[in-house]
Amino acid sequence: MESLYLLIPLSAGLILFIVAVFGWAVFGGQFESLEAEAERILTEPSDSLDADQGRRALRSEQSTSP
Amino acid sequence: MHPPDPDPAVAASTAELPLLISGMDCAACAGPIADALQAVPGVLTAEVSGGTSRATVRYDARRVIPSQLFDAVQAAGYGACADTLAQAKVQRRDESRKAMWRLFVASFCAMQVMMLATPAYVAPAGDLTPEFKRLLDMASALLTLPVLVFGALPWFAAATRALRRGRVVMELPVSLGIVVAFVASCVAAFEPDSWAGSDVYFDSLCMFIGVLLAARWWEMRARHRASEALEATLSATPDTAERERSDGGVETVALAQLRPGDVVRVPLGQAFPADGALLGTPTQADEALLTGESTPVPKAAGDAVIAGSVNLGVPARVRVHRVGADTRLAALQALVRGAMSQRPAAAALADAWAAPFLVAVLTLAVLGAWAWSFIDPSRAVWVAVAVLIVTCPCALSLAVPATLLAATRGLARQGVLVRRLEALAILARVDQVVFDKTGTLSRDALGLAGVRPSAAAAELGLADPHEALAAAAALAVWSGHPRSRILVDAARSDAQPRSGAQSLAAPLEWQGIEEVIGRGVQAHDAHGRRWRLGAHAWALDDAATGAGAPEVQPANQLVMSCNGRVVVQFEIEETPRRDAVAGVAALHDLGLATMLLSGDQPAATHALAQRVGIRHWQAGASAQDKLDAVAALQAQGRRVAMVGDGFNDAPVLARADVSIAMGQAALAAREQADLVLLSDRPADAALAVATARRTLGLVRQNMLWAATYNAACIPLALVGWLPPWAAGIGMALSSVLVVANAQRAASLPRRAGILPLNGALEWKASTC
Amino acid sequence: MSSASLANASRSAPVAESQYSDTAIRLFALAAVLWGVVGMLVGVIIAAQLTWPELNFGISFLSYGRLRPLHTNAVIFAFGGCVLFATAYHVVQRTCQTRLFMPGLAMFTFIGWQLVILAAAITLPLGYTSGKEYAELEWPIDIAIAVVWVSFAVVFFGTIGTRKVRHIYVANWFFGAFILAVALLHIVNSAAIPVSLLKSYSAYAGVQDAMIQWWYGHNAVGFFLTAGFLGMMYYYIPKQAERPVYSYRLSIVHFWALIFTYMWAGPHHLHYTALPDWAQSIGMLFSLILLAPSWGGMINGIMTLSGAWHKLREDPILKFLIVSLSFYGMSTFEGPMMSIKTVNALSHYTDWTVGHVHSGALGWVGLISMGCLYHLIPRMFDRTQMYSVKAIELHFWIATIGIVLYIAAMWIAGVMQGLMWRAVNPDGTLVYTFVESVKATFPYYVIRLLGGVLYLSGMLIMAWNVVMTVRNGRAAPQPIPVVAMAHA
Repeated sequence: MESLYLLIPLSAGLILFIVAVFGWAVFGGQFESLEAEAERILTEPSDSLDADQGRRALRSEQSTSP
Repeated sequence: MHPPDPDPAVAASTAELPLLISGMDCAACAGPIADALQAVPGVLTAEVSGGTSRATVRYDARRVIPSQLFDAVQAAGYGACADTLAQAKVQRRDESRKAMWRLFVASFCAMQVMMLATPAYVAPAGDLTPEFKRLLDMASALLTLPVLVFGALPWFAAATRALRRGRVVMELPVSLGIVVAFVASCVAAFEPDSWAGSDVYFDSLCMFIGVLLAARWWEMRARHRASEALEATLSATPDTAERERSDGGVETVALAQLRPGDVVRVPLGQAFPADGALLGTPTQADEALLTGESTPVPKAAGDAVIAGSVNLGVPARVRVHRVGADTRLAALQALVRGAMSQRPAAAALADAWAAPFLVAVLTLAVLGAWAWSFIDPSRAVWVAVAVLIVTCPCALSLAVPATLLAATRGLARQGVLVRRLEALAILARVDQVVFDKTGTLSRDALGLAGVRPSAAAAELGLADPHEALAAAAALAVWSGHPRSRILVDAARSDAQPRSGAQSLAAPLEWQGIEEVIGRGVQAHDAHGRRWRLGAHAWALDDAATGAGAPEVQPANQLVMSCNGRVVVQFEIEETPRRDAVAGVAALHDLGLATMLLSGDQPAATHALAQRVGIRHWQAGASAQDKLDAVAALQAQGRRVAMVGDGFNDAPVLARADVSIAMGQAALAAREQADLVLLSDRPADAALAVATARRTLGLVRQNMLWAATYNAACIPLALVGWLPPWAAGIGMALSSVLVVANAQRAASLPRRAGILPLNGALEWKASTC
Repeated sequence: MSSASLANASRSAPVAESQYSDTAIRLFALAAVLWGVVGMLVGVIIAAQLTWPELNFGISFLSYGRLRPLHTNAVIFAFGGCVLFATAYHVVQRTCQTRLFMPGLAMFTFIGWQLVILAAAITLPLGYTSGKEYAELEWPIDIAIAVVWVSFAVVFFGTIGTRKVRHIYVANWFFGAFILAVALLHIVNSAAIPVSLLKSYSAYAGVQDAMIQWWYGHNAVGFFLTAGFLGMMYYYIPKQAERPVYSYRLSIVHFWALIFTYMWAGPHHLHYTALPDWAQSIGMLFSLILLAPSWGGMINGIMTLSGAWHKLREDPILKFLIVSLSFYGMSTFEGPMMSIKTVNALSHYTDWTVGHVHSGALGWVGLISMGCLYHLIPRMFDRTQMYSVKAIELHFWIATIGIVLYIAAMWIAGVMQGLMWRAVNPDGTLVYTFVESVKATFPYYVIRLLGGVLYLSGMLIMAWNVVMTVRNGRAAPQPIPVVAMAHA
């Protein structure tokens, strides 16, 4: 099973890489306040649109407002 | 995250302050607040988080003082105060992150190593060629390294630190076992024909470390959840209050600016900002955070309200009595923090006991290896490893504090705060409870015990006690005397269910109302009769003013007279607390003797003792008398628990084996006591005793388990019947079992009359 | 960074900085619909050819052997790939609240990917193939794929690196893992020694090649067709249902559990082959373990609708999204079952495998892609809804019926084939000849073809709906909302 000489070191290296990524995530606070993060994609407007179908008014002046 | 300041002087004087912001309704508020903070000269950075209502400000401490920051935020229209809980949160967060990291590394790598080990288990003989086995073993060794470095290194460090001090701790055999197992497995992988044999145990090693870390992580989470829940409910106090100004207006002030004597307005649904007394219309309060009871507590005018409890009835006005650190809330905070971070003396004791045990284990391991080197050398090291790993002194080191902490958590939910963990152990063996009277078994305030209309009352249409009470209260309302207040309150709560009205009926119209200091209140009715309400002798005195009448009066009687004849007699007495009777009975059930010590008069003391069922009582006792009484009991060989409110018991509380302070006790008593009954329920003392006994029982169970387990497993390991993987599983499962059993202490025992309340504090994990 | 200075920054920055970059997304989304039609059309053709071999017409570039890899590449990499590009670029921008990193490079990935697809469409029917399943493309195209993929990774991870929100939403973890895993798998598996412009020999041989091929093959399914689409699921289902993920914590556990279990499931494709027995056993064991995280994800997605099940009745897009998860659950149950050696002894090389693949492909990958595109495309063209909601509903039902016909036909055919092939007379001879099993399969091939035609029709309805939506919409730039909080 010579292919294992490639696959096994490859997966071992991959594991170490994955563990390192997890470390970066946990110490970077990625696993905290999870409920708030789940809600965030719903509250932050990702696509601001009119409620009804149809074209929107000119956007140029809206683009510059923060 | 922040670049260091180039100017070293500034860098040295940079301070960082976490703030709690109030009044933020939306995330967009963060902008103006941050702007306001940054506008203060000397502020370096200000980060405001709308989601958590918190801010972090870094400033030059030479130019800025914190109150300037609070003022800046207030000027922007919000409230700010220092976030004192922030540090505890940060500590918990860091501890949690480290524990999660260690657990993940161990379990993730363990999973991979187990995958790599599976071929060796499932391949039929000869199918797995030696080269591939070596490849798999090498990969296993490589992936075990992170587990050792991140998962087990702290144990290695603890073991070496202790060794340098000449002490043996639980981490030592575990560390030795892990290191030896790893080294021997490496040797077995590369030199299958040497002393280590040809079997590798990387998977057992990783899995064992993983399960141990999982048990520790579970225990940490339980501990954090308890702290978080308590802190979350504690930080439910509002950060600002509405204070009435002398001109009649209302201003919003930060909590820190309140002073005793201020009058604050508390809207419906808001928490009371400070300890104080309710003024005006009665309302209801939710005191779950301190007593564990979520049923609303009626509060009449004059009743005490607790900072942090929620106003449920109507918008209220409260005169502030205690603020800041002196409120029960702040004291509770400090007590909780102290209790939660303790390592009890009991644990230190356990460590000492463990040391000889561990030395014995190490010796056995070495002896076992030596013996086996004659029988089958390739197994010698594995026998030693098995002995080192299978031993579980964790029952001592891990379980005792875990059990006590779990019991503390359970009791805290009930409103009983354990300040010193080892007090629980002593409490379990207490056989005598001494009670203080006033403020402990009885309420601080007196109450109306009886209404007895006389024969003459019928002629006046007041034969019905309710009418009589109403009439008297209509007169009493004009008096400021505390006893009159009792009548008024009693009449109000009497009238309400019947007529639904809160105001008093005025069956007789009073004219010429006059209060005579020291005697009572007097008035004439529409028919010109002279009514008096007050001291017995004065009321019966026919003279116009009553001056000069003898003052002998039973302290517990109020009389209403008409033209010198007794119309109604009111019995005023000390009311025992609601559950005093049940509590004393429960203590007797538990086999404890009870005693009542009071500085009050014999009559009153005897009456109360009879009411609650205590047979031995002593009245007129000074502080020294109380001390002597307790000392005498202790000289008899009894172990004494003292329940008091500290106003004149402080030395006695200190003398007793276990001191229990009521929640409304003096600050000093609360700080010194072993247990604090925040709920002000004397019956909780019985609950505490029952819990303490149960907890001790659980601790003994854990110890028994540890003893049996070790007695069984060590011989098995020495004989060679326990392969390392089984030793690892056994040790890990044993740890888990012990920690799980310890958690049972958090659910309180049920005894008739003192059912622990359900649904007390809400356990919310903090999301900040 | 203080929020005050952040507000200042966005006030004074040029307009372009405060808008999302959606051009690549629009192009990929429309291309996905096009390649979906193409890929499914080729699928229908080859299904017809299996049923009526005369349809090969004796023409080399129309022969089944050459069209089959065209079909698989078109549906997986052209259709599936374009959907993944579009949604990844969309989700990463919206969840990180920042503009795409190097939008020019994103356009390059679009052009490059279309060139790869066209190259595949030309070389495969012409017979240029490496013979490795789902990796048939020859070495120049493999290099192009690698270049495009590295660019994809740069754009995606660059956007995450320049995010304005500290937390990285769970969908991005799935996308990130998908991108990195596919890069690794592709580079390792496609290692080859070229001998001419369109001919190379694999760097591996024999059973070694098989092991690596199916390490690639199964992880391609696991990361390309599962992780990537799970990323889509975790964003578009909450957005369409307007409810947060049922358990965000579970979604994170789901991610990590999936990551480390998938690696070793590959050998289940090689049961009873020359692969050593112990390697096959590991494949079986870890395929079974894989069941748990997969179902965790499915439950998490479906339960997001908990408390709002009525929306399923009213909203056909939610029907696509939720039903896709049911098929995902079904496939991730069927797969582990089929990886058990005794079951595999019956199913290997039969049409049951085809049925399993297509329940996952048509049911999970297809439906979730359609649902996400129906959500995404109108918003990319300044509309709230597709041109015709009724057409979405119609598409859903036609597609679902098509799927059911397809997989039921294949299950029956597969089990029948397996049983026929292993039927042995008392004297040890086979009961049936191979041809007899082929003849018996014929009616099921007809039903399968019908199912495929229905599925294709649904796709054509979608194409019409998309064209009408785009004609009535316009590509308008969308501003990035300023992050009021300095950090999460």
